Amino acid sequence: MALLHGFLWRLLLVLVHVNRALVSWLRVRLRSLKGRLWERMVAALLLPVALAGFPDHRRKFNRNPGANANSVTGNCAASRRSRCLSDGRSLEKLPVHIGLLVAEEEPSYTDISNLVVWCMAVGISYVSVYDNHGIFRKNNSHLLEEIMRKQQDLLGVDGSKHNVEFLSNGSDKHQHHVVSCRPTVKVLSPDDGKQSIVQAAQQLCRSVENKERSSRDISVTMLDIMLRESKNVPDPELVVKFGPVDSTLGFLPWHIRLTEFISLPSHRNVSYEDLFGALQRYGACQQRLGQ
Amino acid sequence: MSWIREGELNLIEKISANVLKAGPMPKHVAFIMDGNRRFARKKNMGRQEGHMQGFNKLAETLRWCKHLNIPEVTVYAFSIENFKRTKDEVDGLMELAKQKFERLLEERDNLEKHGVCIRVLGDLNMLPLDLQQVIAKAVLTTRVHNKYEITNAVREMAWGVEQGLIKASDVSEPLLSECLYSNNSPNPDLLIRTSGEVRLSDFLLWQTSHSCLVFQSVLWPEYSFWNLCEAILQYQLNHKSIQKARDLHREHQASLQLEADRACVAEHLQHHGNGKPLDAQRRQEALLHYTACREERVQDFLESLKHKRDSYFNNLCSEAVLA
Repeated sequence: MALLHGFLWRLLLVLVHVNRALVSWLRVRLRSLKGRLWERMVAALLLPVALAGFPDHRRKFNRNPGANANSVTGNCAASRRSRCLSDGRSLEKLPVHIGLLVAEEEPSYTDISNLVVWCMAVGISYVSVYDNHGIFRKNNSHLLEEIMRKQQDLLGVDGSKHNVEFLSNGSDKHQHHVVSCRPTVKVLSPDDGKQSIVQAAQQLCRSVENKERSSRDISVTMLDIMLRESKNVPDPELVVKFGPVDSTLGFLPWHIRLTEFISLPSHRNVSYEDLFGALQRYGACQQRLGQ
Repeated sequence: MSWIREGELNLIEKISANVLKAGPMPKHVAFIMDGNRRFARKKNMGRQEGHMQGFNKLAETLRWCKHLNIPEVTVYAFSIENFKRTKDEVDGLMELAKQKFERLLEERDNLEKHGVCIRVLGDLNMLPLDLQQVIAKAVLTTRVHNKYEITNAVREMAWGVEQGLIKASDVSEPLLSECLYSNNSPNPDLLIRTSGEVRLSDFLLWQTSHSCLVFQSVLWPEYSFWNLCEAILQYQLNHKSIQKARDLHREHQASLQLEADRACVAEHLQHHGNGKPLDAQRRQEALLHYTACREERVQDFLESLKHKRDSYFNNLCSEAVLA
């Protein structure tokens, strides 16, 4: 009996994987066959079968292929930039701080840089990039170079370094007096999550050890201020997660209380329409505090 | 209504349960039971009735979890934001909670027979006193606000430092986890949120950083056995990658701890050494010795903390008895 159940379970997993492969294949076909009506019809017929068990995938499909998104390729920089801005304005609401969580092995710098630049072009002020291996943090400079290069490619020479602030650990002290109307990019790693809370705790305990304060003085506000001081960014309203893993993988636990999570299958070869689709979904959701 | 429903699964449900159990199963599942109010609106019933239905659904879900051999279930009870609702609704919820916990006391034996341990986490002080007393009698703690929980853990560690039980340098991630209210239970393997909201809303933010998150659009009072199976299947699909991420995190933590210990030992040797550089073996011995001392210190501190919390409960209970 146990063998039979084991076999059935493995069969179930295979079916799920086939389903997922079919869904992503269909998505690619639908996107690229905008003109060929009959093929779209066939794909649309297959869709309900493919999506039968997974309502969340269905939601993703209905918002794709981002009908309102203007094409970002092939035009001159200035018009691309203004199109991105108008896309941003067309949304009901835009997050002030967006987190890009890469839950995949071997992140691709090109794709992430694209995403960052698109986010900034659409009008989002703070963009954080995170992966749970800390790879982005280790190769900080490489990533930032890529981003600057992409900025120049996509948005022209105007959208260059003096318009963007790059924050990484250690350089934060300078930012206190800067009025940030410029977009800011932050590269995060697991150390910025629980570890920074632990460090704040250690600092507080040390001050208690030195009799500078009592344990009763410690409050949520105090901890909040300490954690913000080292990051100096607002809580992310939206986190877009790339990859098949359904977990936050240690992303800023203190700051994600009211964050909306939207999943996209992968960050590799991600398109502007994919990102815009996610932003549209965010724009449409309501935050009902207290149920 | 009772905390746990009697009854077996039907044939198809039983077969599906057995198939799922062939794969890795979560040992601790957490639910954010969202959607009671929307359900009430949909069915044109009062909000109070919606919450009642939500509670009934919880009893049913506990039964399913028992059939699926899931030993531990955590449920999001009240959020501090819930206190922003109308006074009537909050009073209604409190009354409902009080009735349910009183029922829990009555059913204690039955629940024990089914092997169900119900633990509700949080900060008791936020709730009305009579509710606190009922809960204390059932030996539970109620959860309210996650940042409070983390802050409270930090406060407890600072208390430990004040009392001279531990040093500031002993503060680490595992120690903080031990000081949380939920230290007796392992972190949730699977977190399910219903009604289509895709937020964590301050629920176990610390403990769910490496949990499988499943967001389902069904409203809580309409939750079905198949929804639960779907969530468990998602968990099974993610199992390997999350396991890998957890192991990575644990290794990283261990190496940080080792580094910290080394630094402390080096500092200690500098202060107390006689200027001669120690050979590698001596240094290793000193490191092991320091680590052993630190662990002992931490254990003693955790014992004191547990004692402090237990006596708080006992005081509450005896007050309730006298009252």
